[in-house]
Amino acid sequence: MGKGKYATAIKLLILSPYLILIYILQSTVFTHLTLFGTKPMLLPVAAVGIAIFRGRVEGGVFGLFAGMFMDMSYNQPTIEFTLILTFTGILLGALSDTVLVRGFPSYLLCSALQLAICSASQILVMTVTQSIPIPALLPVALRQTAYSLILSLPFYYISRFLTRLI
Amino acid sequence: MKDFISKKGIYIAVAAVVVAIAAAISVAVSGGNSGFANMLSEPFFKPIKGAMTSLVGSLEHIYDYMYRYDELQAENERLLARVAELERDYREYTEVSEENERLHKLLGFAERHEDIVMEPVSVISWTASNFSSSFTVSKGTSAGIAVGDPIVTANGYLVGQVTSATSSSCTVTTLLDTTFRVGAVIYESGDTGVISGDHQLMKEDRVKLAYIGDEANIMTGSTVVTSGSGGLFPAGLVIGKVSGISVSSSGLDPFAIVEPSADIGESAHLYVITDFAVSE
Repeated sequence: MGKGKYATAIKLLILSPYLILIYILQSTVFTHLTLFGTKPMLLPVAAVGIAIFRGRVEGGVFGLFAGMFMDMSYNQPTIEFTLILTFTGILLGALSDTVLVRGFPSYLLCSALQLAICSASQILVMTVTQSIPIPALLPVALRQTAYSLILSLPFYYISRFLTRLI
Repeated sequence: MKDFISKKGIYIAVAAVVVAIAAAISVAVSGGNSGFANMLSEPFFKPIKGAMTSLVGSLEHIYDYMYRYDELQAENERLLARVAELERDYREYTEVSEENERLHKLLGFAERHEDIVMEPVSVISWTASNFSSSFTVSKGTSAGIAVGDPIVTANGYLVGQVTSATSSSCTVTTLLDTTFRVGAVIYESGDTGVISGDHQLMKEDRVKLAYIGDEANIMTGSTVVTSGSGGLFPAGLVIGKVSGISVSSSGLDPFAIVEPSADIGESAHLYVITDFAVSE
């Protein structure tokens, strides 16, 4: 175990209250605070913020736990979003480490992509398991993506602040 | 690619796959449970979520008081006028009330379900998903609650069914959810069908009564109750009232649109039916 590994673990430990707070907010306050009857997805945009500013390792680990909490807030087994947010966390973190500029346009673009992947996954699951036609699900998917994207703005500044802090 | 993702990235991805496989196995083994992560985290998050839900409820009341004061005052004046009007219609109201009481006796819920054992529960939190309708309640298997148990309001109106349970809490899928199914019967006509959640109707807090057949005699306002077929739900639980008739997108299958009697989104205190005598 090298010093670097401890440093990463400590940084992630510092981020854990932030993650838990978002989980609590998503599963309590924002289930009531709906826009046109739609609830937002906060954990995916928070995971994007960490991946963009912290890179592939911390982005991946944060994505793993954010995904688990996301599944728990949806009352479902920790499979769907656990996998999605981990893989996107690693991928976006790797992009951020190599080619992406760590700024607001990149963050917004990645958040939109992340939310689109999450919504597409939900649509896919419902279409396959319950044979619900895609056009019936699309309006809700678009509304939740738009609402979550609006709320992604504060997460950009929080992620940037946390990154500078740790 | 290996350099792009890095060795640590691969380890994290493997960890995510392991978590997903463990969740799938725990669900398969425990049958209907929402996974080991929920079971492990529930003791920690249950009190926090409960407190936050109470806080949100209080804030909503304050919001209503502050921002809807004028509206409420105007409504109060309208209601006072309405009271005077109602006093004039008292006789008619009494007749309606008596008829209502008679219908309840006809339904005979209490008489036919003396055997029902109920466990009071409180709603802790709602799902954050826009594609499903479920919530978590404050008691679990240690209170005798099991997967499949029906959940009702204090009036006996059906709300949903327990779909996963830990020792201290359980998840309830409401009848608005697209996965929910229960055999139903139209109280007035005796026509049968299957109540199921529908994605389009979910946002309007309505459900679908399908498989009703072309000969069914269903009128708007008819009462829909559980049929009791299959033994999962007691017969005679009030589901709601028919608010319209429609046909499927193919144009071949008629279905009734049912407005649940339970105020599903607003119910904070509910009852899980843990035991009842099956009457076929």
